[in-house]
Amino acid sequence: MTVLISLEQVSRDFDNGRIVALRDVNLVVAKAESVAIVGASGSGKTTLIMLMCGIMLPSAGVIRWRGRPVTTPKAWTGLRRTEIGIVFQDFNLFPTLTAVENVEVPMFGALNHSCERKRRANDVLEAVGLGERGYHLPHELSGGERQRVAIARSLVNHPTLLLADEPTGNLDSISGTAIMDLLFDLQRSQGVTFVLVTHNASHARRCRQQIQIQDGRVFEKAPGRLREVAK
Amino acid sequence: MNHVELAFRNLQRRPARSILTILGVAVAVGSFITLYGLSSSAYENVQQSIEDIPSDLTIRRSGSAELFGGAVPQALVRQVAQIPGIAAVTGELISLVETDSGDHVLAAGWPDGSFFWQTVPLEEGRLPRQEERRVALVGLDLAGALKKRTGDTITLLGEPFHIVGVTRFKSVIDRNEVVVPLSDLQEVTFRPGAVTYLSVRLAHPQDPAEVDRISNAIAAIGGLSASKSEDLLRNDSMVGLLRAVSSSMAWVALLMGTLMVLNTLLMAVLERTREIGILSAIGWSTERIMGALMLEGLILSAIGSVAGIGIGIGGAYLLSAIPAIGRYVAVQPTIGLVLASALAAIGIGIFGSSYPAWRAARQSPATALGRG
Repeated sequence: MTVLISLEQVSRDFDNGRIVALRDVNLVVAKAESVAIVGASGSGKTTLIMLMCGIMLPSAGVIRWRGRPVTTPKAWTGLRRTEIGIVFQDFNLFPTLTAVENVEVPMFGALNHSCERKRRANDVLEAVGLGERGYHLPHELSGGERQRVAIARSLVNHPTLLLADEPTGNLDSISGTAIMDLLFDLQRSQGVTFVLVTHNASHARRCRQQIQIQDGRVFEKAPGRLREVAK
Repeated sequence: MNHVELAFRNLQRRPARSILTILGVAVAVGSFITLYGLSSSAYENVQQSIEDIPSDLTIRRSGSAELFGGAVPQALVRQVAQIPGIAAVTGELISLVETDSGDHVLAAGWPDGSFFWQTVPLEEGRLPRQEERRVALVGLDLAGALKKRTGDTITLLGEPFHIVGVTRFKSVIDRNEVVVPLSDLQEVTFRPGAVTYLSVRLAHPQDPAEVDRISNAIAAIGGLSASKSEDLLRNDSMVGLLRAVSSSMAWVALLMGTLMVLNTLLMAVLERTREIGILSAIGWSTERIMGALMLEGLILSAIGSVAGIGIGIGGAYLLSAIPAIGRYVAVQPTIGLVLASALAAIGIGIFGSSYPAWRAARQSPATALGRG
């Protein structure tokens, strides 16, 4: 098993320690693995995923990428540019840019030629089933289509790790299922490590590993019981 | 899509605000060009006027700060002329006088036999004859503006003068000037026996020691100071004041332009906090985010600069068309000034956008995404 990302005794608090979102979390995610993170609202799911991509830094503990500790915002930015793709619940597309242009944005700095960026963006949009909708602005697309654009954007730099924070949270069930099918297809076909935050138990069950967060602590879900992830 | 297209898309998002900012920069750059052009043209025009009628030394009442202030007794001409090394001396009375049209024009009074008369380039007509009175030479531009020509009459302070010739000096000041016999101007301005300054031609103007000796001899007469004619403007407080005021206004205009870009981009950064967080979330570095925002500032200021150059040149033309200004200053922005203004506009873009860009780039992506 090749470990892609690991969290060791990671804690995260807010408001000068008055609010503890995560406490002494230990988590290991192997390469090409699929992990579901479930838990009640406010349990710390999103905080965990923000820590796993460096958008948020831990208050204590160490996060390692391929065994090496990642501590600086700059190092995390580099990883997000080349290794980590993120899909948000509320799409977070740029409203003035077309679908193709939205997908091109992460490639600035990673790919110098605008023609190459455009070609690759079109290819990825094609892969998520939006080949014909590339020149539409986000407000001209349905919720499901917007999320597909967001998925295309997260995959365009061929990341090793794809983090999805409740990607179907703003979609109806049919669109949500279609998006999850797409994500799992892509995960399988591209060998991407996939971490999914979800409320939906059926979506979570499609992942090989399931993690439950409760009161800021992480538990591995085993049939019939919760087992805290040990260091 | 490249960085420039991306910046344009962001600016198009708030078209009214972007256009207003561009206009603000354009007005700032235009004002800078016009006002700075006015300042430098005023200096150059007076300098050119001095060159139109060359002399080596100018003698004024010592302590008199401005060019046309103070008065020197005409009788001193004879005393100064006796100083060895002086080839010729003449007095000149300068006054702003009202014409028959109600406009005020610059009038110069020269005595009979002054070497000034030999410097006059005539467009038409002739020079006044010795002892001829109530005659005038009118500058070409003034003649055109007043629709006068040789043979007509011009009224100065209510007194009629017969136009005997039209001059075509190079300087805009002299092209709008009336030259009359000194005694006539002294009479109509109630300044008998007075001149504004004396002009001196030296036998050896290239010899600095000789120039110093003669200047000292003039000062020794008492109440007089002599300066080289080309240095006259350097110490003139009126020209200095004009330059200081217009330069200050020009810089204030430029500062306002900078603040406008800063305000626009600061607003844009505040509005787009989340988007900036997304950029960071998808791997944009701090430097790239800063660069993108500064590029937006540069685009605003570059477009504003091009429009401002047009406004500035148009403004200079309009200022010159106002008789009260155009008679004394031909506002002509130089290529150097236009280029400097364009550079200043780039400075506006950089300085105006650097703070908002820095603010945007330093915020944590978690905070920007509302997760902090």
